[in-house]
Amino acid sequence: MVNVKLYNLTKKFGEVIAVDKVNLEVRHGEFVVLVGPSGCGKTTLLRLIAGFEFPDEGRIFFNSDDVTELPPYERDTGMVFQNYALWPHMTVFENIAFGLKIRKLPKAEIVKRVKSTLSLVKLEGLENRYPHELSGGQQQRVALARALVVQPKVLLLDEPLSNLDAKLRIEMRDEIRRLQKELRITSIYVTHDQEEALTIADRIAVMNKGKIMQVGTPYDVYKKPKNLFVASFLGRCTILLGKVLKIEEDRLITICDDHLIVGIVPDKEVEVSPNEEVAIVIRPESIRLKREPNKTYNVMSGIVDWVSFGGNHLDVKIKINSSKLLITLDPHADVNVGDKITVYIPYDETLILPAKGVYEVAYAHELLDI
Amino acid sequence: MKIPHIKTFRRYQIDLFIVGQLALVFFVLTLFLVLPVGTLLIKAFVYNGRPSIRYFRDLFSDPEAIILPPKGSLIKIETTYRYEILPNGTKVLIPEKVIYIGKMGPDFGYLLNSIFVAFFVSLISLSLGVITAFIMARYSFLGKHIFNLLLLIPMLATPFVSAFIIGKVLGRVGLLNYILHDKLRILPYRVEISGLPAVILIQTLSFFPIIYLNVYAAMVNIDPSLEEQAENLGARGFKLFRYITWPLSLPGVAAGLVLVLIFSLEDLGAPIGLSGAFGHGLHQKLISFMIYYEFRRAIGGISQVYPATYALAVFLLLIASTGFIAIKRYISLKTYAMLIKGVPSYSRVRKPSVLGLISIYIFLLLLVLTASFPQIGTIVLALTNWALQMRPPLPSRLTSEYMLSLVTDPNIFKAILNSLLYSGAAILLIMLVGTSASYLVARSRIPGKDLIDLFITIPIAIPGIIIAVGYLLFFATYFSGTLLSPFNNPGLLLIFTYTIRRLPFTARAVFAGLQQVHMSLEEVSYSLGARRATTFFKIVLPLIKNNILGGSLLSFVYSMSEVSTSITLSALNPTQGPITFKMSQAIYATAAVGSVSIAAALGILLMILQIIAISISNYVLKQRVTLVGV
Repeated sequence: MVNVKLYNLTKKFGEVIAVDKVNLEVRHGEFVVLVGPSGCGKTTLLRLIAGFEFPDEGRIFFNSDDVTELPPYERDTGMVFQNYALWPHMTVFENIAFGLKIRKLPKAEIVKRVKSTLSLVKLEGLENRYPHELSGGQQQRVALARALVVQPKVLLLDEPLSNLDAKLRIEMRDEIRRLQKELRITSIYVTHDQEEALTIADRIAVMNKGKIMQVGTPYDVYKKPKNLFVASFLGRCTILLGKVLKIEEDRLITICDDHLIVGIVPDKEVEVSPNEEVAIVIRPESIRLKREPNKTYNVMSGIVDWVSFGGNHLDVKIKINSSKLLITLDPHADVNVGDKITVYIPYDETLILPAKGVYEVAYAHELLDI
Repeated sequence: MKIPHIKTFRRYQIDLFIVGQLALVFFVLTLFLVLPVGTLLIKAFVYNGRPSIRYFRDLFSDPEAIILPPKGSLIKIETTYRYEILPNGTKVLIPEKVIYIGKMGPDFGYLLNSIFVAFFVSLISLSLGVITAFIMARYSFLGKHIFNLLLLIPMLATPFVSAFIIGKVLGRVGLLNYILHDKLRILPYRVEISGLPAVILIQTLSFFPIIYLNVYAAMVNIDPSLEEQAENLGARGFKLFRYITWPLSLPGVAAGLVLVLIFSLEDLGAPIGLSGAFGHGLHQKLISFMIYYEFRRAIGGISQVYPATYALAVFLLLIASTGFIAIKRYISLKTYAMLIKGVPSYSRVRKPSVLGLISIYIFLLLLVLTASFPQIGTIVLALTNWALQMRPPLPSRLTSEYMLSLVTDPNIFKAILNSLLYSGAAILLIMLVGTSASYLVARSRIPGKDLIDLFITIPIAIPGIIIAVGYLLFFATYFSGTLLSPFNNPGLLLIFTYTIRRLPFTARAVFAGLQQVHMSLEEVSYSLGARRATTFFKIVLPLIKNNILGGSLLSFVYSMSEVSTSITLSALNPTQGPITFKMSQAIYATAAVGSVSIAAALGILLMILQIIAISISNYVLKQRVTLVGV
C-alpha cells in the first residue's frame, strides 16, 4: 500500500510551464483522476510521477521515500498508455511476463502469475497471440495485465480508453474500476473526458494551465465547484452575468437582466461581496418547467429558440433577453421552437461564483451569447 | 524549505549506456572525420605558422583557375587525316571533316568548370527526373512495372567503366559514328563529343535517377485528397501541378537536387573514364580531378603536394557544404510536408490518352536505352572482344576470359578480397556507430545532440576527395611510421573512410526505424523495471533490426563501389588496393591490352552485388532506396 505525495511540482518545457507548483496527495488504494482540457499538463504530471520526465522544482514521495530523482525503472509503477504500447514482437504471454523476468522470478512463478493475471482480465487462452491478432479491447486488457502483474506500488493510466469505441469504453471503464477496487492499488488516471472522470474516480483533480484548480470527490467537484473553470468544465451549464444586491446568511440575492436570482456560493472558500459582478451558473438538469407558487425570484420566461432530441432526453434553449438558457427535459416533453415558456430554478441549485475570467471560460465552452 | 535541485545527469537522463554510446560516437567521429578534415582546413589557412589566406590568393591568381570569358568554342569543325589501305596495298592519308563538340571549349577555368558542369547536370537531371517521376507516379500504362525496374539500371555504379564506354562510343571512330556516319550516312561529318559536355552527359545519365526516386517518393506520398480538393475547386492539368503537386513535391526535389549537386562536384568517375577514352583534355579540368592528380604525385610524401591544392580542396568543400546546408534548411522550412501522414491508402493514377501514351513510351524508351547504355556496355565489354575491335567498333565473339580472370588473376582476386575485407570491417563499425548515433539523436536528452545528427549526415556533403586529402595529411603527419600511416597501411584507413562516408545510409535508416517505434514502447519497459541497456536490447533492437540490416547492406555495397578515397589512398601502397583502385588503374593508368575488359568484369561483379543488396534492402525496409552513393 502506497500513498503518493506531490510537493510544489513544477515542470517547464522551454518557456512553457507545463506543470505549475502542483501539490497533491493520493492515498492508499485510492483512485484519483486527473482531468482537464488538452494541454493542461495532466499527462506531464503523470509522466513526472512515472519518472519519464524530471521536475524542475518540487518533490515526489511514495510513502516516505523521495523518488524525485529515481529513474523510471526504480520507481515500481505500472503504466498503461493510450496506445497500449504492446511490444509487437512479443506474444501476449511474453508481453505480460516481461516485468517478472526483469525481476528475475522463477519460471514456474512467472507462468503462474501470468496465468492468474490473464484470468483476472478475462483473457485466458490468448497467451500465444501477437498483439496485432487482438481486438482493441483485448489489447487494452493485455496492457492492463502487463502493468498489474508486477504488483506495482502505483498504477498510472494515461487516457487508456480514448482509443476504444463508445460502448467498449464504458465496459472497460467499469472493468478498470472493478480491478482497482479488487486489488486496492493506488491509481492515478488521466483523462480529458469529464464524464469518465466523474464515473470512475474516488477523487478528481481538475487541472487547467498546469495548475490543479480543485480536488474532491466527483460529487463535490460537480456540485460545489470552487471556480468558474471547474463549474464549466465538469458537466454542462449556462452562465449568466449578474450583480450582488444583498447577502442573507448562505443566500445571495442578485439581479440579472431585471430578474431577481437567489443562489448560493458553492464552497466556503469562495468569497463574494455586495455590488460585485458575479457569474450565475445553472446546470440544465436543475431547471424546472413548472413554476412553484408564490415564488417571485428565480423565475424566468422566454421563447424556445432551439430543440435537440438526445434519445433519453431533450435539450432545449430558451432565449431570455440577451441570454440563452440550456434546459434538459424529459424526451416526451411537448416543446417546440417559438413556444413561450416559464422556468424556475431552486435557489440551492443556483451557483454563484466570482465573475473573474468569465469571458475566457464562456468563450471556450460557448456558454455565453455575448 | 529550500528545494534541492535535480542533479544534472538526472535532468538529462544520462546513464552508463548513454555515456558508452556517446564515447564511441565521439571517438569515431572525432578521429576519423573531424580531425582529418580539420587538419586540411588548418593546412589551407596557415602559412609559415601564421593564419593566412596566401594559398587562396595563389589559387585565385592561377590563370587557369578562372577564365572569363571562356576560352574556346563549343563546336569546332576540323579536318583530320586517317590512313586508308588501298586495294593495291598502298597506304594513303584521307582528309576527313570532324565536328568536335566540347573538345576545344568552353573552358571557364577549373574552378568555374566544376560549377558549370554541376549546374547543367543538376538542371538536366531535374527536368528528366521530375518528368519521369510524374509519369510513373500519376499514370498507369502497360509495362509500367518493367520501366520501374529498368529505370533503376542507371543507378548501378560501374565506376570509370561507364564513362570510358560512353567516351569510346562518342569518339571519332566510335559506335555512334559507325552507325550514323559510316552505315546510315545520316551525319555528313563525323562527330566527337568530349570535354565538359561529355562530363555533363555521363553524370546526368547516372545521377538523374536520384532526383527521379526522391520526387517519385514525394509524389506518391501526397495525400490524394489534397489534389482532389483542388480539382473539386476547379484546378486541373498544369494548374493542378503548378499549385498543388509541385509545391508538395519540393522537399523530394530539394533532397534529390542536393545529392546530384554534390555528386557532380566530387565525381572522379567521368574525368578518369574519359581520360581512358580520350587521353588528356578539358574533361580533366575539374576541381575534383585536379586535386586527385596533385595527390597522385604525393607517393614520396605529402611535402610534394603543391600547397594551393589544399585551398582548392577547401574551396570544393565550401561549395558542396554550402549547397547541402542551404537545401537542408530549405527542406526543414517546408514543414507542410507534415500534412502527409503515413502512406496514402490509395493513389491517384489514371490512364493517359492515346497521344499521351505514345509520348510516354517514346520518352521512357529513349531515356532507359540511353541511360542504361553504360551498364549494357559494361556487360558487353566484359563478355566479348569488344575492347580489341577497332573497325568496325563492334564485338565479334564471346569470351569468358575476363570474367575468369577475376578468380584466376591473383592481383585482381586480391583486390576483390581487399574490398570485401574493408567493406565488411567498415560495416561492423557502421552498424555500431550508426545505431548508437541514431539512438542518441532520437532518444537521449543530452544537450548538443543536434551536433551528432549533423556530423552523421554531413559526410554526404563532404566530397570523397576531401576525406582522402584530410586522411593523407592527418595520418601521414601525426601517425607517421605507425600502423595508421597511409604510406604503410592505406587499406586500414580505407576501413575508416568507408565507415565515415557510408555511415549516413545506415544512420538514416536506423533513425527512420526509431521514429516508427513509439516512445511508449520503451517507457513501459522502464516502468516495469528494465534499465536502458535491457530495454535497448530487448525492445528497441528487435524492432529496428530490419532497418539496421537494410541500411548496412546499402552501406556495404556503396563501400564496395567507393571511388575517391579508394583510388587516392591505395596509390600509396597498390597491393592493398580495392576493386575500384584496380578499375581506375585499368582504365587510366595502364594501357595493357584487355585491362579495360577486366575493369568491366569487376564492374559486373559490383553490379551483381548492388542488385542483391538493393533488392534485400528494399524488401526489408519496405521502401525504395532514395539515396545512392558515388
